[in-house]
Amino acid sequence: MTATQEQKKRPEQSKARERNGAQIGQGRATPYLFSFPAIFAVSAVLAFPVLYGIWQSLYRAPELGLPEEFVGGLNYSDMFGDPDFWSALYRTGFFVGGCLVVGTALGLLFSFALYRSIGRLRWMRAATLAPYLISNVAAAVMFRLLFNSDLGLINSVLGTVGIDGPAWLSSTTWAMTVVIFTQVWTDIPLTILLLLGGLMTIDTSYLDAALVDGASAWQRARYLTIPLLAPQLVISTVWLSYSTLTGLGVVLALTGGGPIGSTTTLAMEMYNVAFRALKFNEALAIATFILILNAVLTLGYVRVARRYEIEA
Amino acid sequence: MAEHLIDATKVGSRGHMAGKPRTELAKFGHRLLVGLPLFMLAVWTFIPFLVTLSVSIKTKIETFANLGLVPQQPTLHAYKEVFTDPNFLNAFVNSVVVGFGTALLTIVIGLPAAYAFARFKFRGRHLLLLFTLLPRLVPSIGILVPIYRLAVATNMLDKRITLIIVYAGTLVPLAVWLMVGFFQQIPREIEEAADVDGANLWDRLRFIVMPLAAPALITIAVLAFREAWNEFTLVLVLTTNPTTRTLPFALFKMGQSEGISNFPAEAAFAVITVLPFILVYTRLERYVVSGLTAGSSK
Repeated sequence: MTATQEQKKRPEQSKARERNGAQIGQGRATPYLFSFPAIFAVSAVLAFPVLYGIWQSLYRAPELGLPEEFVGGLNYSDMFGDPDFWSALYRTGFFVGGCLVVGTALGLLFSFALYRSIGRLRWMRAATLAPYLISNVAAAVMFRLLFNSDLGLINSVLGTVGIDGPAWLSSTTWAMTVVIFTQVWTDIPLTILLLLGGLMTIDTSYLDAALVDGASAWQRARYLTIPLLAPQLVISTVWLSYSTLTGLGVVLALTGGGPIGSTTTLAMEMYNVAFRALKFNEALAIATFILILNAVLTLGYVRVARRYEIEA
Repeated sequence: MAEHLIDATKVGSRGHMAGKPRTELAKFGHRLLVGLPLFMLAVWTFIPFLVTLSVSIKTKIETFANLGLVPQQPTLHAYKEVFTDPNFLNAFVNSVVVGFGTALLTIVIGLPAAYAFARFKFRGRHLLLLFTLLPRLVPSIGILVPIYRLAVATNMLDKRITLIIVYAGTLVPLAVWLMVGFFQQIPREIEEAADVDGANLWDRLRFIVMPLAAPALITIAVLAFREAWNEFTLVLVLTTNPTTRTLPFALFKMGQSEGISNFPAEAAFAVITVLPFILVYTRLERYVVSGLTAGSSK
C-alpha cells in the first residue's frame, strides 16, 4: 500500500478507533477478526481437504490398516492401467455429453416458451424451479417410479401406442438414459433461469427489425436470439458440465452404478474404490483426475467461446 | 422489401409468422408453436411429482393393478406407515436440526466477514476475499474422501455438529459473495450518521446493516437450509447409524432394503421430504431466485 493511501484512510480509521475501539477489537484488527471465522471455515472444509486429498493421492497403504507410504505417481499409473477406469471415463463422456445435449436443448426450448408467456404465467416460471429444490434421492425415487417396468407411467404410455417399453433400470443399454434424464431434470431449472435471464436482456429492437425484414420465427431464433444468447449458453454449458462431471448423488441414488456397472461414471467409480473397496488413496487419484478434467473442460469451453468472440 | 413491410404491419403481433397471410391454420400453428413447449415444460416438471403423489395414496396392490394417475381408493395408509417409522422420525428431527443449524452458522460466520470486506479498507483484503470465494469452485467429489478421513481421525463421525460445520463451510463462499454485494449497496452515509450519533459498531450492525440486508440474509438462510435438507453424498459418508442420518440418507436406505419394495411408503416418504421445503420456497421465491442466479453465474 502506498503512502498516500495510508494517509488518506488514517483519519477515518482513527476516528473509528476512538469510537469503537473499546467495544469491538482494536480498530485495525477488527476487519481481520471479522473475516477470520469465514476464512477458517472455508479453509477447514474446502481448501485444506481438497489439497490434502491431492497430496494423499501420492501415498498408499501396502495393505488395509498398514501405515501409508509415499509412492509417487503409482496410484495414477495403476489408475491409467486399469480397464475399469477407462470404461468409467467412457461412460462419463457419454453421460456428460448426453446431459449437455439434452439439458441445453430442453433448456432453450423451455426458456423460449417461458419468455413468450411473460406476464400470463408467472407462477409457471416459479414452479419450474421445483426440481432444483428437492434432494437427488427424492428425484431418484420419483424417476424409479416413473420408469418402473411394471407400474411406471412411461411404459404404460408407450404401451398405449403399441410399444413394449424396456425394463429401463435393469437394462444395461437403457439405464444410462434414465440417469441422464434424471440428472437433467434436477439441473435444468438453473439452465432455464440463466437462459431466461439472457433472453430478457436482449434488445427487442433487433427482433423487430428482423421481423420487418421478413425473417421467419425460426430464422430469428437461429440467427439473432441464439447468437445473442451465447454468453449465457457458455455459462450454462460450463455449469452443466461441472455439475454432471462431478455429480455423484443422482447416479448413486438411482442405480448405484449398475446394472453390471453400466452407469458407473468416474464419480461413481471413485465412490466404489473408496467406500466399497476401501482403497482411499487410489480413490483420491481418481478424484484428482476428475478435478483436473473439470478444469481442462472449463478452460476448453471458454477458449472455444473466445474463438467466436463471446465474452461470457 | 416493400412487400415485407406491408406484411409486417398487417401482422401486428410479434411472434406471428411474418410474411404469411393470417389464415386459421397459421393461427393454429402459432398457438401450437408457443403452447406446445409450455405444455411440455409443465409435463416435464410436474409429472414426476404427480406420479409420486399418486403412488403415495394408493394401496400396495393398487400400484400394480391400476397404473393410472388417479387412485380408485385413495388411502393415507402409506403416510401413517412413514410417520410411525422411527427411522423417519429420527431423520426428520436431524434434518430440521441440521437445516436450521447450518442456516444459522452460515450467517454467523459469513455476515461479519462480508461486512469487513464491504466496509473496511485493510491490508490484504483482496487476497483474503479471493481466498474466501475461490473454494466455492471445489466440487463435493473432491472433498468426500478427505473430509471422511479427517472426521474419522478427529472422532467427528456420526455427529450432527459435524454436518452443520461441513455444510456451513461449503456455503460460506456463496454467503459472503451475496452479502458483500448487498452491503456495498447500503449507503455509507447512513452508518456515518449513526456513528456521529454515538452508535458503536455493534449498534450499527444490529440496527442498520442487518435490517437493511434482510433480503440477503433470508436468501442465504433458505439456500443454506436447502443444502442441509437435501445434501446426500456427504451425509452418506459422515454418518453410519440411523440416529444421525438426515432425510435423504434415510430415504436412500429405504430404497436399498431387501425384498419387494413398498412403493407407496417410499413415495410417501419422498413427498414428505419434498413438501416442507416447497412450501417455504413458495413464500420466499423472489429472494431465492436472485440468490440462485447469483450463485450460478459466478
